[in-house]
Amino acid sequence: MSTDTTACQSPQCINGNPASRLECPTCNKLGIKGSLFCGQECFKANWKNHKIIHDLATPRQPLLDDPSINKDGTFIGFPNFKYTGSLRPIYPLSQRRVVPPHIPRPDYADNGTPTSEVRKLGQPPRILSKDEQEKMRTVSRLAREVLDIAASHVRPGITTDYIDEIVHNAIIERNAYPSPLNYREFPKSVCTSVNEVICHGIPDQRKLIEGDIINIDVTLYYDGYHGDLNETYPVGRVDDDAKKVMRAARHSLDESIKICKPGALFRDLGKVIEPIARASGCAVVRQYTGHGINDLFHCSPNIPHYAKNKAVGTMKAGMCFTIEPMINLGTNWDLDHWPDKWTAVTIDGKPSAQFEETLLITDTGVEVLTAGKVREDLL
Amino acid sequence: RVPLTIISGFLGAGKSTLIRRILTERHGYRIAVIMNEFGDTADIEAKTINVTSPDNPAEGSEEFLELANGCLCCSIKDSGVAAIEKLMQRKGAFDYILLETTGLADPGPIASIFWHNEEFSMGAGRDIHLDGVVCVVDAVFGRKASIYLWSADSSDDANGQIASSDVILLNKTDLVPESDLISTEEVLRQVNPAATIHRTVRGQIDLAHIIGIDAFSSRPLPGDSHRQESCQEDHDHSTHPHVDTINHYEIRGISSLQVTCPVLTDTALERLDEWIRTILWENRLVNDDRTTEGLEVLRCKGMFSKNSGERYVLQGVKHLYDIQEVKGSEDMGVPDVGKLVLIGKGLGEVVRRSLERLFVAQVDDIGQ
Repeated sequence: MSTDTTACQSPQCINGNPASRLECPTCNKLGIKGSLFCGQECFKANWKNHKIIHDLATPRQPLLDDPSINKDGTFIGFPNFKYTGSLRPIYPLSQRRVVPPHIPRPDYADNGTPTSEVRKLGQPPRILSKDEQEKMRTVSRLAREVLDIAASHVRPGITTDYIDEIVHNAIIERNAYPSPLNYREFPKSVCTSVNEVICHGIPDQRKLIEGDIINIDVTLYYDGYHGDLNETYPVGRVDDDAKKVMRAARHSLDESIKICKPGALFRDLGKVIEPIARASGCAVVRQYTGHGINDLFHCSPNIPHYAKNKAVGTMKAGMCFTIEPMINLGTNWDLDHWPDKWTAVTIDGKPSAQFEETLLITDTGVEVLTAGKVREDLL
Repeated sequence: RVPLTIISGFLGAGKSTLIRRILTERHGYRIAVIMNEFGDTADIEAKTINVTSPDNPAEGSEEFLELANGCLCCSIKDSGVAAIEKLMQRKGAFDYILLETTGLADPGPIASIFWHNEEFSMGAGRDIHLDGVVCVVDAVFGRKASIYLWSADSSDDANGQIASSDVILLNKTDLVPESDLISTEEVLRQVNPAATIHRTVRGQIDLAHIIGIDAFSSRPLPGDSHRQESCQEDHDHSTHPHVDTINHYEIRGISSLQVTCPVLTDTALERLDEWIRTILWENRLVNDDRTTEGLEVLRCKGMFSKNSGERYVLQGVKHLYDIQEVKGSEDMGVPDVGKLVLIGKGLGEVVRRSLERLFVAQVDDIGQ
């Protein structure tokens, strides 16, 4: 290296950047040429800026040297976010799962936007024909099968991504499409919501631990129609608070289903749900509602789960919709969202439970299309 | 609570002048002024609002509203409203919010969105409360409006402005002869008998008449009945028949219907609720199978008493409505006759008779 004519590298050189010969020893070791300084004072004064060059040039082995990456390759997504509880998103998410091309896809499967839903905004709930009602029975039954399969795998040590894999495979085995996949760009095939997550949790690399509660929300698209249901399950043994909030959610859903029949008002469902939640010292989430479901994943009506609401609409035979109360332990119904723009969490980090069924109003009452076995553990 | 007032009116009627006056007079307050494009928030990518600084209302700052993407599916909270609330969370609550609608926009759906949003109020200082809808009408165009502004071919939005308003400012009255003003007011009252009309020049008005009016509350509005009486006295009955029975005037098919309600039994109140929700949600009459062409209620207000003494107030805009008991009303003395005002399209005699039949049925109930 020709050094004698190189000026001092410090931008704040007090000597006017004369020709210099003092070389930075670290740069020398790293093989970086031209790091010359006119004197010790100049070198020390500029040290903070200068050492950035060392960091850039050091060959890194990311797993060994990056403190924010765990030894197993996982890391916390959005490390600077003010999380409300102890749950963290554990990244990286697994690769996008493939749906075989022979399976019919909803309109949003490729570009993320459910144009068919947008077109129907503001219209009253649809009355389904007898044929359509039969299709809703079929897809809802399939959805229940898949949920039960997923639930049978719940145990400490498995990741929510593993559940996603099970659900995804079970759905495509049945020649159906996993409705959440790419719906408004949701990245996975099922929503897994653990503890303080209210809904729309994204399956990731976090392993379930005993004491967790996990909601698995399955929706699938078969023969042109969607079927949607969810249940909250305990992971191993859970504490009394967890049992309380799960019971409140299940019970309030069951009681609200009992008043469904032609002529009943959607706005009255909240009147049944909220008192049950309050009696258990819990709160009803307000921003997320039940929804109409048929050939569209989400359509009219909107069904609030809280009392004193102005929901529009009267139930009529042939209407299909979901009721899906989200119940939070404690008195806070408010929520926050993670930076992934999907995961909704309680504002105080306390757990939240949910149960959902797809319903069909019949001439005399209601049919629970996604009905499954009674949850013995919640009685 | 942060009161929100929607200010509607055609281009040139004087909305901007009014808003400037509010900002100047309410010097010292933090006021946010939003140019509307609500009701369609899914399509908006970036939205800004102007916030006045308390010290100098002429200056303001522009703030960005962070709008969430459409991925918050099943979340019924309007994303535009959520964005305003988030802004207040970051930068402190406003004292008022003025939402100026674009010239032809119907304020009804926008009012619905904010009224609906009150279902998410935390009871904290930052809850947005829909205070009322103000419409600025250009007196110069007044009655000619039926020719000029509201032409036969339909853009529904324009008409919603008069129908959905709680306060109408008849502006530029210095430029118009008295007789024209009287007839314009007559037309406006026929279309919307529930709104208060003020004559203004250059938007000058005591702000107490347009801000803090609490038009969507469940408190009974004593002003209404008072206005009805004074209306009876002021008119010269020889020049035009009284408003109660026949609506001569419509502005592009929009008219109003006022019906007196007797004191109600429990069953009657339930039947009234059924009647109201059927007409609001399904555009039909619950006890009349004849297809009522073009029936649509844009706004409704009412006050009723039950035989047990409680009073109820009805508020409705578009599909949203609420019948709420007035707290403490049992002590208000003898139950009084009530009133129901409907504003919309197709509100002919068939509708009136359908409602009156409900009340007659009640008499039969009592008779049993």
